[in-house]
Amino acid sequence: MDRIDRTMDDLPLKLVITGHVDHGKSTLIGRLLFDTGSLPDDKITEIRQICSALGKEFEFGYILDNLEEERDQGITIDTTQIFFSSKKRHYVIIDAPGHVEFIKNMITGASQADTAVIIIDAEEGIREQTKRHAFILGMLGIKKVIVLINKMDRVGYDQERFTSVKNAYLDFLNEIGLHAIQSIPISASNGDNVATGSSHISWYQGPTFLEALDSFEVPNSLKNAPLRFAVQDIYNFSKRIIAGKVVSGTLRQGDTVTVLPSGEKTQVRSLEEYLRNPDSAETGKCIGVMTTDKKFCDRGYIFSDPRDTPAITQQFRANIFWMDKISCKKGQQIIFRCSTQEANGKITAIHTVINSSTLELMGSDVDEIKNREVAQVTIRTDRPVIIEPHTKTPELGRFVLVTDNVSAGGIITEVLL
Amino acid sequence: MIVILAIDALEYNLVDRFNCTHLMQKNYGKTDISEFSEPRTMVLWSSFMTGKNLEDEILAKGDKEMWETHIDHARTFFSHFTSPAVIDLPGYNYDIMEHKREREILKHFFDVKTPEEKEQVKKEYNDRAFAFHRKIKDEFLSALRENHDLVLGYFSIADVIGHLNFGNTTLMKMIYRDLDEIAGSIPAPYIVLSDHGMEPIGMFGDHSRYGFWSSSEQDLGNPKITMFFDTMISGISSGSFKGDRS
Repeated sequence: MDRIDRTMDDLPLKLVITGHVDHGKSTLIGRLLFDTGSLPDDKITEIRQICSALGKEFEFGYILDNLEEERDQGITIDTTQIFFSSKKRHYVIIDAPGHVEFIKNMITGASQADTAVIIIDAEEGIREQTKRHAFILGMLGIKKVIVLINKMDRVGYDQERFTSVKNAYLDFLNEIGLHAIQSIPISASNGDNVATGSSHISWYQGPTFLEALDSFEVPNSLKNAPLRFAVQDIYNFSKRIIAGKVVSGTLRQGDTVTVLPSGEKTQVRSLEEYLRNPDSAETGKCIGVMTTDKKFCDRGYIFSDPRDTPAITQQFRANIFWMDKISCKKGQQIIFRCSTQEANGKITAIHTVINSSTLELMGSDVDEIKNREVAQVTIRTDRPVIIEPHTKTPELGRFVLVTDNVSAGGIITEVLL
Repeated sequence: MIVILAIDALEYNLVDRFNCTHLMQKNYGKTDISEFSEPRTMVLWSSFMTGKNLEDEILAKGDKEMWETHIDHARTFFSHFTSPAVIDLPGYNYDIMEHKREREILKHFFDVKTPEEKEQVKKEYNDRAFAFHRKIKDEFLSALRENHDLVLGYFSIADVIGHLNFGNTTLMKMIYRDLDEIAGSIPAPYIVLSDHGMEPIGMFGDHSRYGFWSSSEQDLGNPKITMFFDTMISGISSGSFKGDRS
């Protein structure tokens, strides 16, 4: 796939930082915000003064504490995101207070991360949570991570210790299909290799953490991906206007498109907006379409690039996050909603179930998913639906399941034909 | 050795919210101080160390004299220990002049009118409280290294700072974290106990009508503050405070 670097004009790169408790996540975030000048001076001064009054060194972790407190008081408007910028691009750290919120946000699409950072204490080494986090990241569709071996100052900046922790962890990542694009020795509290290099770690020749982020290549923007236009409604006035949203690719006047699920082809006569007729509409745009003929079309239909069409199927595998107090039973009737499509269906198999709080494996091939559990399942719908793996077209790979309420969110991992 | 971390106005809800795991230990909860008419520091600590509700006795001294209370050593459970180290406990051996000065500055804060004056008084108040906290912390950590069978450290920072700054959660959180670190540095079984908690009144804080307790050993439920007298005595009798320095 072609890849490009985002620029300052683009959306911020979303990253999530995970790691075992006390391995330095808060300190790292505080240090990043401080070193990139992303915080008001008076906040730093206040925290510095309190540290001094308590007879302590300035601790960067308190910066994050301060943000969390502001968030609790409603001062910070956004509830889960921390923004900072390098000279090259904008970033947002998706900050979820716990496993449950993190998994729920990721799987329901509330805050999809572009990349993940796993932080490990050099002294303490790999802990159970360090492994569980990686496992769950893989399950959520993240395949590339940056590994930070933190607190190098506590081990005398020892290269052997770094190599030993790094190699052990890379072996584990390899086992679960994750790829570390960088492994960096850092000291978040001292600032070594976070935003600036380190004279203490001269044996390390690679990028700093911020340089690694700046050079992180994200998948090419969806606007260059194959066209997917989700039909929302049909308006018959003096002319027929098909209203919908471009969920992938770019829709242009004159394009020939395949109408799914019928498979018929039609051509775009014009794009319709209030008082204007644009030539094209990119991903994310809601727009009206007139076609050259009146092939049947309804809500839930998808216009697709004829050279690359999504699957039409009744069966797929998915990872779901169950968020209903009433457990889900295997075989139970559910309503599947994906983009503008809706179909009845049932969960025909529950392959594995994981507790989203402890990340413990609760069982394999079981009959029930309880509240706040994450499960790998197979779902079968009563009629064909147009879907794709989440990694290809997020909007056609992301869904909710409805019983009496919205009971689960999920991502499609494999389309079964 | 047994250690008691006596913290004035340590608020149950903040310990929980700030996830102060060393203050919480394995078992923690609220104390029941409903038998007292008001959550008064001097009354509560005096009752704690004697195992008796001393509200009438302390209040009979009057508002000013109350602060100079000195409970005789023989009336306290400390007398049952061979080599106790009790640091700055109200009603026993606390620094009367220092705490008196703190109360005077606090009163002065509410007397002055302009925001500039208030800010200046607050700074003096906070600086003084922090300096005293550092001093008590040093004494407490030193005592932990000495050969005592009981070490009790009384920390007033959460109360003193809380009265004027309870709405500054960054400040309160950093104080709670510091107290949590102190608890984490105790190399023996310990009990954390507060006389009362603190509830917000705008930016300020006032005493709440329950205290905080925690223990690594027992689930004490919803204990009265006078109950700790018997707990300590029975701990000595059973020998459970011996040889546990780690």
